[in-house]
Amino acid sequence: MEAEVLKLLIKLLLIILVLVYFSIAFTMYYRKWRTKRLKIIENTFAKICSLYLYPIPNEEPNLIDIQRELKSIGIVPNKPRNVQYLIDLMIRTQRSILGENYIKLKKLFTQIPPYGASASKLNSKKWYTKARGVREIYEMDQSQYTRDLIKLRNNDNIYVRREAQIGIVIFLGWKSLRFLPYLKRQMTLWQQIKIVEKLNDLYPVPDLTHLRRAYNSDRPYANELIMRIIRKFNILEDIAYIIQFIDHPKFETREAAIYCISSFSLTEEQTRDIKEKFYNISNVEQQLLLLKYIQRVSMEIDLAFYKNLLYKGNDIIKLSTADILWNNGYKEVVQEYYYQQYTQNADSQSISV
Amino acid sequence: MEVDLYYYIFWVLNYFFLFYGLCLIALYFFAIILSNKSVTRNKRKARFLQVNDIVSASDIPNITLIAPAYNEGKTIVENVKSLLALQYPFYDLIIVNDGSTDNTLELLVDKYDLEPFDSTFITQPIPTSTVNKIYRSRKLQYKQLTVIDKNNGGKSDANNAGINFAATELVLCTDADCIIEQDALLKMVRPYLEEFDQEIVACGAAIGIINDSIVKNGVIEKLRLPDRMIPMIQVVEYIRAFLLGRMAWSEINGVMLVSGAFGLYARNRVIEVNGFNIHTVGEDLELGIRLRKHMEEIKVPYKMVYLPETLCWTEAPNNIDILIKQRDRWARGLWETMGLHKDLFFNKKYRDMGLFYYPYWMFFELGAPIVEFVGLISLIVFTVLGLINWNIAILLFTSVYLLGCIFSTISIFIYVKSFKHYNTGKEVVELLLAAYLEPFVYHPILVLGQIQGYYKKIFGVKSGWGNMDRKGFKTLPNDK
Repeated sequence: MEAEVLKLLIKLLLIILVLVYFSIAFTMYYRKWRTKRLKIIENTFAKICSLYLYPIPNEEPNLIDIQRELKSIGIVPNKPRNVQYLIDLMIRTQRSILGENYIKLKKLFTQIPPYGASASKLNSKKWYTKARGVREIYEMDQSQYTRDLIKLRNNDNIYVRREAQIGIVIFLGWKSLRFLPYLKRQMTLWQQIKIVEKLNDLYPVPDLTHLRRAYNSDRPYANELIMRIIRKFNILEDIAYIIQFIDHPKFETREAAIYCISSFSLTEEQTRDIKEKFYNISNVEQQLLLLKYIQRVSMEIDLAFYKNLLYKGNDIIKLSTADILWNNGYKEVVQEYYYQQYTQNADSQSISV
Repeated sequence: MEVDLYYYIFWVLNYFFLFYGLCLIALYFFAIILSNKSVTRNKRKARFLQVNDIVSASDIPNITLIAPAYNEGKTIVENVKSLLALQYPFYDLIIVNDGSTDNTLELLVDKYDLEPFDSTFITQPIPTSTVNKIYRSRKLQYKQLTVIDKNNGGKSDANNAGINFAATELVLCTDADCIIEQDALLKMVRPYLEEFDQEIVACGAAIGIINDSIVKNGVIEKLRLPDRMIPMIQVVEYIRAFLLGRMAWSEINGVMLVSGAFGLYARNRVIEVNGFNIHTVGEDLELGIRLRKHMEEIKVPYKMVYLPETLCWTEAPNNIDILIKQRDRWARGLWETMGLHKDLFFNKKYRDMGLFYYPYWMFFELGAPIVEFVGLISLIVFTVLGLINWNIAILLFTSVYLLGCIFSTISIFIYVKSFKHYNTGKEVVELLLAAYLEPFVYHPILVLGQIQGYYKKIFGVKSGWGNMDRKGFKTLPNDK
């Protein structure tokens, strides 16, 4: 009985093994075949674009012929993977072409299939299809769908809402700051980076009215985003906004503040503010970063500040302070400190650094 | 009476092995489902954060690569060249010469035109062996390279020295003998850019085997399957371990081990837990567990993640002796780490880690070699006693063997489907054959190495890292 069950099990396992072999073989064959198909689509598309941009004299490109040609290589609604590949090619091409040719290509892409493929993806229940649709809309510069993107800005799925938020920035520019600091959900670092970059690429002149309105937001992600914008656009008059977050209780917000402030030179008053806040920072590594920055932006050594750190800071801060003083002509201050430590601890304890 | 006792032991052991085996099969089955889900999800996510987007971004976190080197003279120049050629806008490279007795340091100084600079006031949040000198290159093209020359203290100590000296948010600990994919950092940083409700404390990626491949200018020119059987089987072992094991754990946030050969960590968290433990040879697992414990204790939501792509390539042991030494060391590391953190065992305070992940490691990672060894001994003893029904035993063995073959074949299938490293029919057939030979020619050696490691721990036999003689890669001359 047991032997029969085991024999049956072995047969079953062999069948499963054979099925997995077939799957491997099929995958490898399909990949080879698919690569060939994609090459054909790519070559045809390249030919269409080049002939459209640089037509042969007296042979203007015929849209009907182009549509037929695309159909003949499998760009039809019931082959969505081919259609998707063509869309990806269109995006890649548009990204690499500028000026008059960009406008010509944009016109061509509205006249050839697929039609409305990206917008229809917004209704999909699958997050990756929806997010892909949003991405295609902004990559292909289809600003007529801005309203649809605004609706998706608080979507449950991170990728859908991220792509929608990037799309909103691309289409609305600085006006998008009416929405972004008040989103329901947290924003990732990548969202912040992308938003700042898109603003910089497409709307290089800052609109301070919209930016300053956003200062009222108390959400940490919004604070971080605004600090990054101030840094990227070098808005000197709003450095105080960054300084207020230097000693923020949240680690990431402090990190963003220290990172952003590092690209500015400060006035004496601002440096004083930072020195005051220095003592409130709970993380030693962040204190170290700030200390290096203070030293870099200060015109002269604030001996009282550094002496205070040397005598009252923790061991790591003391060592860095000693480094700064030693290399800026205050060797005797460092020697005096160590001598004092040595004499205090000579009996039984070791020197504290 | 005596015969009854033998029968009793025989049946208890039989049912124990059956139960243990069924649990393992169930776990592997779930691992396949989870890892397939995880690989698919990763592929989908990658579409929305492509490496081209990251490489052109300006605010991404800076990374420091830390590569300890101990007597790596044979490959160090080539490997540093590879580490300097990575695509990432902001990264530093720290090579920590851990008291090499060969010409590692001289080669680096000579090749990269290094000069020592003042290191009187280096801050050392994590205590390490004495740092002798710190070198930087005079040449502008190597400006991100720093070499720390320190007294020998072991790999963990060297990593700690690098972490101390790093000034970036993220640190990537690797081995100086690894070849890292050009876009590896761009891919590794993705989870840090995308996460919003859980802090990423560590991120790992699959590691591949490079024996007999051709390397040119520090980049893999042609990836080949190894010629010899031992490293060839390790290719399958690594594919299975990373694709089925780590990816499945990653899907349920159960990763405890980020491989020491290639792991990206949040520097502030590593410093908070005082860096790598220098008293264990399983330092990567130990750090992973300590980081998780720390995050549980401070009650900050966190994640340790794995990427399915092979981003780091390393030379695997080429012969049985070195393989046994390596597995002996891994087994000792596992033993030490499990012992250090035994307070986790079914400890509700540490939630899933205490209730599931740690017990899994105890029973199925630490326990597996012991169970196998006991199984082998029982087989011999019960054969002598004539208690084995050979007809059933052979059928059972065939079933278990086929199950093992299915799991390996599915791993190879997922790999072939998702990645293009081994995509010719010949390579796939070779991988499958290696997988099917593994239980006979390779697995017994592993068990031997592991049991040797446990023996050393139980009976206090002193042993260190051991040396791994490298053949070196097949390198082509540089372009003029």
